[in-house]
Amino acid sequence: MNLLEENLRKALGRKPAPEGFADRVIAHARQQPEPAARRWRQLMKFAAKPVFRWAFVTAAVLLVIAAGVVHRQRQERLRAEGEMARAQVRQALRIASVKLNVARKKVRDINREAPPSQL
Amino acid sequence: MDSVATVTLPQSEEPLSRLVRGDAAAFAEIVHEHQSMVFSLAYHFLHDRGRAEEVAQDVFLRLYRRLEAIKTREHLVHWLRQVTCRRAIDEVRKLPKAPATKLEDVAEPATEAENSDPFLTLRLQRVVASLPEDARAVIVLRYQEELELAEIAEILEIPINTVKSRLQRSLEMLRKKLQSWVGEKPL
Repeated sequence: MNLLEENLRKALGRKPAPEGFADRVIAHARQQPEPAARRWRQLMKFAAKPVFRWAFVTAAVLLVIAAGVVHRQRQERLRAEGEMARAQVRQALRIASVKLNVARKKVRDINREAPPSQL
Repeated sequence: MDSVATVTLPQSEEPLSRLVRGDAAAFAEIVHEHQSMVFSLAYHFLHDRGRAEEVAQDVFLRLYRRLEAIKTREHLVHWLRQVTCRRAIDEVRKLPKAPATKLEDVAEPATEAENSDPFLTLRLQRVVASLPEDARAVIVLRYQEELELAEIAEILEIPINTVKSRLQRSLEMLRKKLQSWVGEKPL
């Protein structure tokens, strides 16, 4: 190492940071919002506690049950609507049948009343 | 956050993030341990205590936001050096283009200079601060941090041969600038 390098090493040695520097940095850091990743991990850590784990399991089971109930109610409603529609179709067919019978009877009566020469 | 009073940083591969997870005490230890290195790097770049403190503070606040990404003690030191250099270079580039410090602008020492002369030290610091940013980075990392060329290349993300040539050119520039002051006394 030559003299210049030696002098550089002396001149560029580490200097102490200004008085109170670390305290100012730490105070600023405390004012910073929590980084998102750290917040998320803390939330997960919190959620991993046994009480919360059981709460999550219970909530999940309740959710599945609620979903089943809603599904069943929906199926019931659809079946009822189907029954109602079938009944309406039957009613309509019955009415149509009655009307047809009336019309056929009228035609038959007309044929019977008319003289054979007109036929 | 204040739950852990003291945390000893690991010496080797132990993940830092495990210890500094939301832990203000661990962060405070890191700041105390590395404040001198970060401040000095910034100071030797900027030759201005106020701006150097600003840069150093910014570096630590960035670290605070990125603690999760720091895996080991070595990684931490590397990260601090790299970010401080980049941040200091940005700061230098933000400054209005002032003419580089000339030796003539530096106050003359009252007495004959010795090797440990504070005037020589001050002059050297000023001359280093007048070098182009890239050259300054190499010089500061080499003589403040006493890093090997390969380490400097890694921090500055440049080839090792570039570091070598920059170092040689920088030393030559410094030698020329200083020779006029110390006369023909070999440096």
